[in-house]
Amino acid sequence: MSAVQIPVRQFGAQLLPRLIALCGALAVSAVIIAVSGGSPILAFRAMLEGAFGSVDGLSEVGVKMCPLLLTGLAIAIAFQAGVWNIGAEGQLLMGALAMAALGRRAGVLPGAIDLGVVLVVAAGAGALWAGIAGALKLWRNVNEVISTIMLNFIALGLVSYLVQGPLMEAAARYPQTDAIDLALWMPRLLPLHRVHCGLIVALIAAVGVHVLLYRAVIGYELRAAGLNPHAARLAGIAVERRLLFAMLLSGALAGLAGGIEVSAVTHRLYEHFSPGWGFTAIAVGLLGQLSPLGVVLAAFFFGALDAGSNAMQRVAGVSSVLVSIIQATVIVFLVALERSRWLPEPHLAREEEPAET
Amino acid sequence: MTFLLSVRGVAKRFGAVQALSGVTLDFRAGEIHAVLGENGAGKSTLMNILSGLYRPDAGTIVFDGQPISWRSPRAARAAGIGMVHQHFTLIDTLTVAENVALSLPRGSRWRFDAAVYGRATQELARQLGLSIGPPQLRVAELPVGARQRLEILKAWAHGGRLLILDEPTAILTPQEAQQLFAMLRALRAQGQLVIFITHKLREVSAVADRVTIMRRGQVVGTYQVGELTTGDMAERMVGGVVPAAPAERRAPDEAVALRVTGVTVRHAQRMAGLDDVSFAVHQGEIFGIAGVDGNGQRELFEVLVGLVPPASGSVIVGEVPITVFTASAALAAGIGHIPPDRRREGLVLTMSVLDNFLLNRTILNRFSRRGLLRRAALRRFVMELAQGYAIRLADLQLPIRVLSGGNQQRVIVARELAEHPAVLVAVNPTRGLDIIATALVAGALREAARQGCAVVLISTDLDEVLELSDRVGVLSHGRLSGPLSPPIDLGRLGLLMAGAA
Repeated sequence: MSAVQIPVRQFGAQLLPRLIALCGALAVSAVIIAVSGGSPILAFRAMLEGAFGSVDGLSEVGVKMCPLLLTGLAIAIAFQAGVWNIGAEGQLLMGALAMAALGRRAGVLPGAIDLGVVLVVAAGAGALWAGIAGALKLWRNVNEVISTIMLNFIALGLVSYLVQGPLMEAAARYPQTDAIDLALWMPRLLPLHRVHCGLIVALIAAVGVHVLLYRAVIGYELRAAGLNPHAARLAGIAVERRLLFAMLLSGALAGLAGGIEVSAVTHRLYEHFSPGWGFTAIAVGLLGQLSPLGVVLAAFFFGALDAGSNAMQRVAGVSSVLVSIIQATVIVFLVALERSRWLPEPHLAREEEPAET
Repeated sequence: MTFLLSVRGVAKRFGAVQALSGVTLDFRAGEIHAVLGENGAGKSTLMNILSGLYRPDAGTIVFDGQPISWRSPRAARAAGIGMVHQHFTLIDTLTVAENVALSLPRGSRWRFDAAVYGRATQELARQLGLSIGPPQLRVAELPVGARQRLEILKAWAHGGRLLILDEPTAILTPQEAQQLFAMLRALRAQGQLVIFITHKLREVSAVADRVTIMRRGQVVGTYQVGELTTGDMAERMVGGVVPAAPAERRAPDEAVALRVTGVTVRHAQRMAGLDDVSFAVHQGEIFGIAGVDGNGQRELFEVLVGLVPPASGSVIVGEVPITVFTASAALAAGIGHIPPDRRREGLVLTMSVLDNFLLNRTILNRFSRRGLLRRAALRRFVMELAQGYAIRLADLQLPIRVLSGGNQQRVIVARELAEHPAVLVAVNPTRGLDIIATALVAGALREAARQGCAVVLISTDLDEVLELSDRVGVLSHGRLSGPLSPPIDLGRLGLLMAGAA
């Protein structure tokens, strides 16, 4: 049996609760639609057709899926290593900021290389932002949940200040940056459709994360450190360094998501740039059972919901906000169905043994 | 003669372990009654039954003329039985009065009147003659001795008649222990019954009127304290152990594989730590370290495997001194380990059995190339290894948590011995295992020694130490005495364990 099959099989065993959660969430949504005077069947059909009924719909699924996939992978890596990175949102913003800031100047290097370099810088910016929380945890024992959440607010504030101040567009009309140089625009996958090469980058990243977690020594050490730091430490694994590594890599993936989004979709940075990708990412990661393959499927599912929601609003007159309810309800159902079985157990319950005298 | 508390034929079983069998003994009002025994003798189990935490499988308990069966510790407390556990059950962030309030019958459903509980606390303290400081002080600010007095006060809050203390002096300074004894004597003078669990002979002589000695879940006997010398008590406590003949064991090689010199570890809370511990283990030798839990075993393990640097002293493996105390340095020097708590420190429970074999650095290095794992080769290696330890091949892909304790321990032993470490530190390697797994683990340790491994066997199971070891040192209060070589005088061993020699 190859190593690849282990996570696959685990995912299969977890499929049933996921299906139940999905059906439950759809049922709840149906009730809400019905109560608010809509037709659930019409709404769901519109959503399905909107997402899968045309090439354009599928293209939109790809567009919506891309940032969720990268940030979902960021969550998977961090959570598997036992660091609770709640700051993918802030890290994504820093990546987007790097792309927007560097993208204003004309390409110094030939196009593709230039884009590559700037994307690496965007990933680095995300890693740096996550690294602050990692360093605080390592050296000052600051709980990373708190610090990453706070860093989200700082990143939000920073973006808000910059797009209204130093980085505001030359026209000075809207609180946004100028469009980035054309050389830095991510190539599209299909002409006339918005789906872009960033999706390929994200899928390659998923494969990379899979290899790293399940095939590489460092990934093994990272998972061991996350699942049982005591045993990992005793086995000679540098637990703290692995945690920092996971944090940096997690931040880099989130930063990359932000960079790609600016490069491929918005071409500029503005206030309220992210609709909360970094937070939805936690749901994507958990739904995907923190496995890269699972995250791909979960991101696809969430992306399809997002892409279909506009069609639903247009055709069935049901607010696209309903999608958020579906996404959240899926997670609530899942958590209720299997508690936290997919999460690492940092503090394992001790074996019940007879009390020693 | 009437007894306040009578225990008749009480038995209790946990899975495969018979913790108590046919325990019969009586307690009088107005006495301090010590219950003496080694680790695993059943003392705590018996007390947990008396205090309502466990229910016995068989037997009866008569308290104050009434046969009783507590449904919960709360019911036992309501009847006036208070127990002070070895580990504190206080909430550090609450005040003294708030902690006491938890044990008091609730007055109002909605209102918490701090002043009322403060007065109740002071009144209780006055009755008991305990000083615990102002009731509005947070528990976190109290010294250890005061916390224990607060525990006693809590145990007594319901109007006590019987006070059970489980190893109360383990965490106290000698001065605090003296204060505790004075308080126990005062309770006795009031006609209360105090049951006092201990393994320290000195304390029995110092404070108890009668002593019941337990061994292997049974009562050896109850004696007036004056009847027995400490030597008699020690022998009865460890007695019945027949040291295995040191047959067919080859003489230890000349070469010293592990030399520990003057190792001292200061422990922040407990007093034990390690105090100037020195010993040498030869190649091919099993060096047993006996002693009651909490006398420095954990600290010794942590130093040897590199988790904690000693305050002073040195550890030398072969010719090479360990200069940096990290787990990876200890492993690189050739020190393998079987940790005391296999589920917490030996395994990653949610990972597969196969992946748990990678928790050994040497194996991990051997089965990786350029940073990637070589799983196929690892699998072949583990399959071969598994046969020698009767590990089922079908289990290799399962998460190791579904395996029994015995099978989990087989994986650890197989893993740690696979790469032939120069030194193996094994802590309670057979604790909680059934007979077959115990024999397998013991056999594996013997075989490792036969092949030249220097085994440090730290165990609170005296049988195990005596059966396997070539020489035996005894840890007591962080000091290592001995080593004794066979034939081992059990009386002397018992005295060393009890810190009385």
